[in-house]
Amino acid sequence: MDRLRSAMTRFRLPRRTLRLQLTLLYGGVLVVLLVAVLGIWGLLYGTSSKAAPGTPASAALNAQAQAAGNGHHVDILFALVLAVAVVLALAIGWLIAGRLLRALRTITSTAKDISASNLHERLNIEGPDDELKDLGGTLDDLFARLEAAFESQRRFVANASHELRTPLTAERSLLQVTLSDPNASVDTWRSTGEELLTLGEMQERLIEALLTLARSERGIERQGPLDLAVIAEKVVQARRGEAERRGIRIGTTFAAASAVGDPGLVESLIANLVDNAIRHNVENGQVEIVTGTRSGSAVLSVVNSGPSVPPEDVERLFEPFRTAGADRTRSQDGQGLGLSIVRAVADAHGAILEVTPPPEGGLQIEVDFRLADRKAEKRAAGLIT
Amino acid sequence: MRVLVVEDFEILARTIGTGLRREGMAVDVVLDGRDALEHLAVTRYDVVVLDRDLPEVSGDEVCRRLVAEHSPARILMLTAAGAVEERVGGLGLGADDYLAKPFDFAELVARVRALARRSTPPVPPTLAGADVSLDPARRTASRAGRRLDLSPKEFAVLECLLAAAGTVVSSEELLERVWDEEADPFTTAVKTTIRRLRAKLGEPPVIETVREGGYRIGGA
Repeated sequence: MDRLRSAMTRFRLPRRTLRLQLTLLYGGVLVVLLVAVLGIWGLLYGTSSKAAPGTPASAALNAQAQAAGNGHHVDILFALVLAVAVVLALAIGWLIAGRLLRALRTITSTAKDISASNLHERLNIEGPDDELKDLGGTLDDLFARLEAAFESQRRFVANASHELRTPLTAERSLLQVTLSDPNASVDTWRSTGEELLTLGEMQERLIEALLTLARSERGIERQGPLDLAVIAEKVVQARRGEAERRGIRIGTTFAAASAVGDPGLVESLIANLVDNAIRHNVENGQVEIVTGTRSGSAVLSVVNSGPSVPPEDVERLFEPFRTAGADRTRSQDGQGLGLSIVRAVADAHGAILEVTPPPEGGLQIEVDFRLADRKAEKRAAGLIT
Repeated sequence: MRVLVVEDFEILARTIGTGLRREGMAVDVVLDGRDALEHLAVTRYDVVVLDRDLPEVSGDEVCRRLVAEHSPARILMLTAAGAVEERVGGLGLGADDYLAKPFDFAELVARVRALARRSTPPVPPTLAGADVSLDPARRTASRAGRRLDLSPKEFAVLECLLAAAGTVVSSEELLERVWDEEADPFTTAVKTTIRRLRAKLGEPPVIETVREGGYRIGGA
């Protein structure tokens, strides 16, 4: 039984590859045409030899016998020519198909080799500007985008591990150094305890920020109607104390701005924008927060004074763990995730984020919840559920 | 032994400084790469504990410049990325050793000591001169079998003199190798410490005063 099965697999029909199909197609068409041509020709030839009018009977008989002999020869010749033509047609078809599909084979084998570890490789299909070159180019673009995504993922993990391991190292060193101090007093232990608490809080904030980022990148899970003005007021109220300590004046204009979204995520978006505006500011600086409705969509705008940001650095600010060069050291507040969270939440809501660094310094960030509004309208009209 | 700690995470930087100082080293702490380069330009350090991820000037860049200037300072790199290729990359830049975060403080101390020994000429793990012997790792010193009870500064001065193996060490050099920026350095500090050290070492005197403010042990 097993032997039968293995014999069957051994004598399986060849896989119906594109090359085989093309070969059969070329060969088939050629054979059909050839048969047609030969058939017509043979028909004509046959008629002319048979119908020879005005010959004597004996001669006609003789000629007929000859023609029959000739006809036999001709039939064999036809069959031979046909057979050779079929073989040639299939062979040429096989070669042509192979040639045309060579680029496709290169694409397949290279694409097979490219994996997460060697995404920098490209197909680089050469040759005429045809469909296969288009395909190669499209795949190369895809690889480039994948490589960029993998690279940013790798950088994110490296940065996150640095940010997570450094406070852990500090905790361990702090405890080991204090434990190995034979003259450690109650005061020493007290200050060690306080520093450990600070480190714990820092890690807590970092983990919280990482979780918010992950949650917002996954998209919105629950949504409902919300008013940017109400959320912004709550956020600003909670931060007045910190702003006062830093000597920063907060100006607000809250007009109703209703949108649809995840209230928790929108709150973290506004909180991170306001925190960023307060922290990256100058002495006696100011923060201006405005909510409102513009041509039917809810808009939030946060403008702060601060050190000037070169326009080419603006994009970098939104990358995780990147902060402007003005930060001398990794400050104890802010993990460099705030603006990444802002962007992720805005993207999840389909909101448009517009950032302009005013020439006098600071940042002006505007979030336009346009799409969210359109969704709300559609939902109201019963178009989406 | 003079050590420069370059780490941007302030609490960790401060803790490393405190811990190494307790081990009798003279430690300066800076929080970014630019400060580190400024310190390295004016002071001769035996070992630099260098975080790889620094603001202003990266740890890699500091390392590259030290190597390019043929600095005698040995470099111990600290990094959070413990992957093999990261470690190989750091050593490829010219770092002498590599320690991944989070580390054990005892290991950091041992590695700093090992690097300091690798100075030119190499210093043995335990030092001896005349009838005095000193073990930096165990922090013990003795004279003719009698255990000496020394303060960190006295210990460091004795270590410096023994490591010089009979050559003269000037007051200024002692000041640079034993005292760090945190101390308020005056040459009188050296004199006072030497006086206390001599008293503890007892008779007959082993520390010899050389003219123009230098000291040596076991010289010819």
